[in-house]
Amino acid sequence: MTSLSRRAFVTAATATLLAGCGGGNGTTSSANAPQRQGSSTPSGQPSAPSSAKTAHALARSVPVTLRVPAIGVDTPVIQLGLASDGTVQVPPITAHDRAGWYRHSPTPGQTGPSVILGHVTVGAYGDGVFRHLAKLRKGDRIEAGLENGTTATFTVTTVRTVAKADFPSDEVYGNVARPELRLITCGGTRTGTGYLDNVIVFATLTG
Amino acid sequence: MRRTVLSALALTCGAVLASTAPAFAAGASAAPTRTPSAVPSATRAPTPAPTAEPTRSASTAPSAEPSAASTRAPSQVAEVPSGAPDTGVTTGSKSSDDMTTGLAGAGAAALLVGGGAFVVVRRRRTTGV
Repeated sequence: MTSLSRRAFVTAATATLLAGCGGGNGTTSSANAPQRQGSSTPSGQPSAPSSAKTAHALARSVPVTLRVPAIGVDTPVIQLGLASDGTVQVPPITAHDRAGWYRHSPTPGQTGPSVILGHVTVGAYGDGVFRHLAKLRKGDRIEAGLENGTTATFTVTTVRTVAKADFPSDEVYGNVARPELRLITCGGTRTGTGYLDNVIVFATLTG
Repeated sequence: MRRTVLSALALTCGAVLASTAPAFAAGASAAPTRTPSAVPSATRAPTPAPTAEPTRSASTAPSAEPSAASTRAPSQVAEVPSGAPDTGVTTGSKSSDDMTTGLAGAGAAALLVGGGAFVVVRRRRTTGV
């Protein structure tokens, strides 16, 4: 009697243990799944912020001088804003005219398009400060002296002459991923009062 | 007899337990095997949820914000001017300063002529010519 009941209990206990082992395996496998999820999520997260670009941008500092050795330009730089009609202000018509930095654009060396304007001719006074801007070529150097004593050195990438009617505002004033510079003056065919075209020099920061 | 009956009973109970245990294990492992295979669906639920939240809220939101930032809101040029800059004055055109000095000169010349005529008339009257 007792030996039989022992056997029965032993058999039942073995069967229960076997069933318990099977169930235990299921829970451990499901426990592994969240661990994989946990490991995949963090590995996905760091990959996203790792795609950051490094730019050699300079700190904001207003330009005070401009040198373009290839065309003999060495001028003080004034600040320009917007005229009442929404166009950009231009430097005054004087004998020794200067270049002007558009103060709503980034300072030279900051990320973005810094815009500097100058006259090609100043009426009865003769040649303007940017008289020979159209002669610049790719690779020429431009140096902007900043108020904080540093110099932002740019290299010309493109020189374009465009009709004023088709002035490429997006290319000149649009956002860019690196520090760039635009030098703008007039050019092309003369009319009674001015010029039909604009000369635009595109340059990027190289030093 | 009793022994055989009891042993048969014990064997039957054992067999029933053994069969129910796998059944239980199958039932319990059906949930786990579904959890592994439904954990994929449960992992799909978490993975799209956590990876959709991190990838959408972390990758689309920050990567969409800079791209939106670069195209729209924080424009690098705070105020974009309209039209083309007028950065050239030819010799044919005159500035406003030139115009005002010209007008002032013309006015002064008119005054001189008028004054001269007045003096001539007065002299003629006094001399009686």
